[in-house]
Amino acid sequence: MLLWPHWLALVVVVPLAGSVVTPAVARGSGRVAGRWAIGVMTVTFAIAITLVLRVAQTGPFSYWFGGWEPPYGIEFRFDEFSAFSAVIAFIGLLAVIFSQRYAEQALSPKRIPYYYCLLMLNLTGMIGFTVTGDLFNTYVFMEILSLSGYALVAVSGEKTAEMAAFKYLVLGAVSSLFVLLSIGMLYALTGSLNMADVSARLTAGVPKLPLIVALAAMTLGYMVKAAVFPLHIWLPDAHAIAPSPVSAVLSGLVVKMGVFGMLRMYQIVYRADVVDLSVLNTVLVWLGAISIVMGAFFAIFQDDIKMMLAYSTISNVGYIVMGLGLASQYSLIGASVHVFNHALIKSTLFLAAGAIIHRTGYRTLTDLRGVGHGMPLTGGAMAIGAISIVGIPPTAGFLCKWYIALGAFQAGRPFFGFALVFGALFIFIYYIRMVNAFYFQEPVHPEVARIGEAPVSMLAPMLILAALCLVMGILGRIPLSFIEPAVTRMLATIGG
Amino acid sequence: MIEALWTNLDYAASVVLFSIGLYCVITRNNLIKKFMGLNIMETAVFAFIVALGVVEGGDAPIMGADASPPFTNPIPQALILTGIVVAVSTTAIALSLIIRVYRQTGTIEADELREME
Repeated sequence: MLLWPHWLALVVVVPLAGSVVTPAVARGSGRVAGRWAIGVMTVTFAIAITLVLRVAQTGPFSYWFGGWEPPYGIEFRFDEFSAFSAVIAFIGLLAVIFSQRYAEQALSPKRIPYYYCLLMLNLTGMIGFTVTGDLFNTYVFMEILSLSGYALVAVSGEKTAEMAAFKYLVLGAVSSLFVLLSIGMLYALTGSLNMADVSARLTAGVPKLPLIVALAAMTLGYMVKAAVFPLHIWLPDAHAIAPSPVSAVLSGLVVKMGVFGMLRMYQIVYRADVVDLSVLNTVLVWLGAISIVMGAFFAIFQDDIKMMLAYSTISNVGYIVMGLGLASQYSLIGASVHVFNHALIKSTLFLAAGAIIHRTGYRTLTDLRGVGHGMPLTGGAMAIGAISIVGIPPTAGFLCKWYIALGAFQAGRPFFGFALVFGALFIFIYYIRMVNAFYFQEPVHPEVARIGEAPVSMLAPMLILAALCLVMGILGRIPLSFIEPAVTRMLATIGG
Repeated sequence: MIEALWTNLDYAASVVLFSIGLYCVITRNNLIKKFMGLNIMETAVFAFIVALGVVEGGDAPIMGADASPPFTNPIPQALILTGIVVAVSTTAIALSLIIRVYRQTGTIEADELREME
């Protein structure tokens, strides 16, 4: 096939081109824009899947733009971690399907084509972020996804939406600048922007202090993006106020990009093996542990269902960051897989919450009492999501948290293993509160218990996701063994 | 120490500018001033990266019969061109958000907005 050599570039080019032409294709019709978005995301997902299959067979591979060999040209590099791009495309596709009916109700018709345009731009940025092998490219894709993210938060037009978006924008832009500063410093130190090349040149020897400052700046920047405590303040408002499909994308995927950036940074530094990262790791472990507990703690006091889910994202990112910081083989595998599983689980929860809000018009647990009887399938998806996120064995959340806990013991820090279990208990409390309200409490509004199910275009995406939460629990070995070679390669130099 | 500062005056200036910008973002109450702080930070980072590529007495690296080294490094300049585009987009989004905040609430002071919530 003619396009085959360019397949890796297409995974970014297709959604990018597809998104920018959306308003022109739709000509003001929200329905056409929706269909178009489904088509574009389906193609993107198909491309991403073939890439994942290829990486599973042959290991990491590259694409050189314009045929220029790195370090002079820009390189896309698809490794096992990049397989997350398939998850992005998949959840993006489901979010777009979910939006069909949701957007009709929640947005003014004039805005719908632009909404799809922004949503796909956001997904493009994330896919690009996961596949690029070039540092400055990372920054560009990060800005694509951030800028479209700010606009998507504001799109709902609710009263506090603009303020939430502005808060998100200021913190996001400051964090991006820290990352850019750090990229500039790395360039000054090594004279290269290609990740593999930077890593090789770092090995050749550079002054330690500037390198440490650069790494600190990059970590700080990505910690804001990942909403690690105490830099999480932008997240709850932004994620709760955004339209629900957007919340699913923001919470399930966009937050992970901060973690992903750290993962890429670790790849560079571990391979070079020039600085001792134990201080940075300790900071990450502690902040991760604090995030788990604080996120869960705040979530308990929320009555707004989306607010609760947003705080739960903070504690789950805490798990991932803790896994990164523990830096043992098990914890890194667990963290990488939790990036993937949490994306599935949190999207299920936000889509289900979105469907409930769409049908009932209420968003607090008190108002929504008894909704599990009115919307049995949605309630069921929500319950599966809740069980998964707590990490009860047959579901997706269990294996990765188990691996992170094992990693804590492997790293000789059993205390954090206990912190993890303690956090899971907290999380259990507030999700039990939710399930309790949905099924077992006397309804405040009697009509809520008889409301009737959401339309198929909403039901299908969240039931698929809920089913995956279960399947990924049972087949949990597959992602674990898929990611293992990448982690082993990453740790090879430090003997973890 | 002083000498090192003097030879790297451009970097030192960027760091100072970056700090001033960050200070503005954190302490200012007015949303537009907050955002101007962000613009100052952007300028600082851009100046830092452009300064990386400077070679004393360097020419523009354009091929031709009379081209002779030393050349300045064109990559940082190309990067920052992209960076400026990003900065402009950020500014556009931020200002439009501020306008909408003002239309809805009649104020752009952060403390008054907090009271309203």
